[in-house]
Amino acid sequence: MDVGKFISIVISMVFINNFILSKFLGLCSFIGVSRETKPAVSMGLAVTFVTTMSSIITWLIYRYLLVPFDIAYLRTICFILVIASFVQLVEMFIRKGFPGLYKAFGIYLPLITVNCAVLGVAVLNSDMFFSDGSAAKGSFALSVTQGFFAGVGYLLAMILMSGIRERLELLDAPESLKGVPLAFIVASLMSLAFMGFSGFKF
Amino acid sequence: MDILIPILILSSLGLISGLGLAVASKRLAVKIDPRLEKIHGLLPGANCGACGGAGCFGFAEAVLKGELDISACRVAEEGKKEEIAAMLGKKLDRKTKLVVVLHCGGGKKVKDKFLYKGIPACSAAILVMGGQKECRYGCLGFGDCVKACPFYAISMGDGGLPDGSQAGLPHINLERCKACNKCVIACPKKLFTLTPQDATVYVACRSHDLSKDTKAVCPVGCIGCKLCEKACKFEAIRVVDNLAAIDYNKCTSCGECIKVCPTKAILEKFKKEKMM
Repeated sequence: MDVGKFISIVISMVFINNFILSKFLGLCSFIGVSRETKPAVSMGLAVTFVTTMSSIITWLIYRYLLVPFDIAYLRTICFILVIASFVQLVEMFIRKGFPGLYKAFGIYLPLITVNCAVLGVAVLNSDMFFSDGSAAKGSFALSVTQGFFAGVGYLLAMILMSGIRERLELLDAPESLKGVPLAFIVASLMSLAFMGFSGFKF
Repeated sequence: MDILIPILILSSLGLISGLGLAVASKRLAVKIDPRLEKIHGLLPGANCGACGGAGCFGFAEAVLKGELDISACRVAEEGKKEEIAAMLGKKLDRKTKLVVVLHCGGGKKVKDKFLYKGIPACSAAILVMGGQKECRYGCLGFGDCVKACPFYAISMGDGGLPDGSQAGLPHINLERCKACNKCVIACPKKLFTLTPQDATVYVACRSHDLSKDTKAVCPVGCIGCKLCEKACKFEAIRVVDNLAAIDYNKCTSCGECIKVCPTKAILEKFKKEKMM
């Protein structure tokens, strides 16, 4: 395993292929929860946690269940099934064991279970680190790294967006643009900026 | 036969996670007070915040903890409040239901002193020389209260009553009014007050001007003549600073003041119900 591969994954996931701003995944929670910074950060942390965990589980499922039986075409439904039930389990566990933590981000966990960003990470992992039905060298560590930093990229976009939207609230915007419409415009401008990391291609 | 393997794997995967969740939900169950859900169900769900709680669910939590009294909710029906009180083993401390009244009868009877062409909102109009109406106390008629009311109890009546009074003034549906205080805050002229629902008499004027000045701008303004003060047998009405004010602790809604008022500035509340 060389370190360079990990670094390139980190930079790619956080900036170049940012899940929200370059891949346009997980937009509903991005618009929905980014009104204030505090819940936005909680949501970002929850997503980071879930993407990391789901990377681990889906890698195991893919490597030891789907690939050996040659049913990789079932990965979408399998991944959703496993991720959703796992997140539910974690939610229950947190609720029981850590009420403080549950108050902080427990309520966001059910929102994430079916978030496309989480499934996106899982699918991307299985696309990138498996070739011809066999796992690439060090693919488990790479998958987990990719899952974690996809979440970090999400967190970054959430923090930026919520900071901007908190200021937009104070703006004397036209009635028809107030709230979500302006948020979409801002999101597209941010997305343009993030595309600058990869260079514009036409 | 090839189809069997995927079916088997997928269904066993679903079965395992389903059973796992079922077991976990039993073992990791958190006890929530079942009364919380019930109380929340009995509350109106308007989330108006008039009780001081953070929405209806916050109020339900506070009631359960004993931080707020159930009578603090102004919106819920009395029967439902009693149900909640009974569930908690408490007695409902009944408060007289309040409704809001508008202390202005001017509306279209009061002329504009200039042509106002700005944003159609009272809060904006008042910034221009205190509003466009000749009467500096009266309703501007842009309906900020209509927008503020979460219960759709206030509407702008352009036509007014059949006899032509109350035209261009907000009309309050007293059945819908829950006394949440939102319009009292929203009105820049401070024309709304909360009054007991049982009291039917109110003074539809806020003008403290001298009678000469009031008469010059409004035909239905209070001119401070003190006829009502003399007519009232219960000393419930008092003219202070050229304006009649009713003390609802003494008022019996007998209606004597309405009869004697020369400018018809004292009105009966429920008359508004019959219009439109």
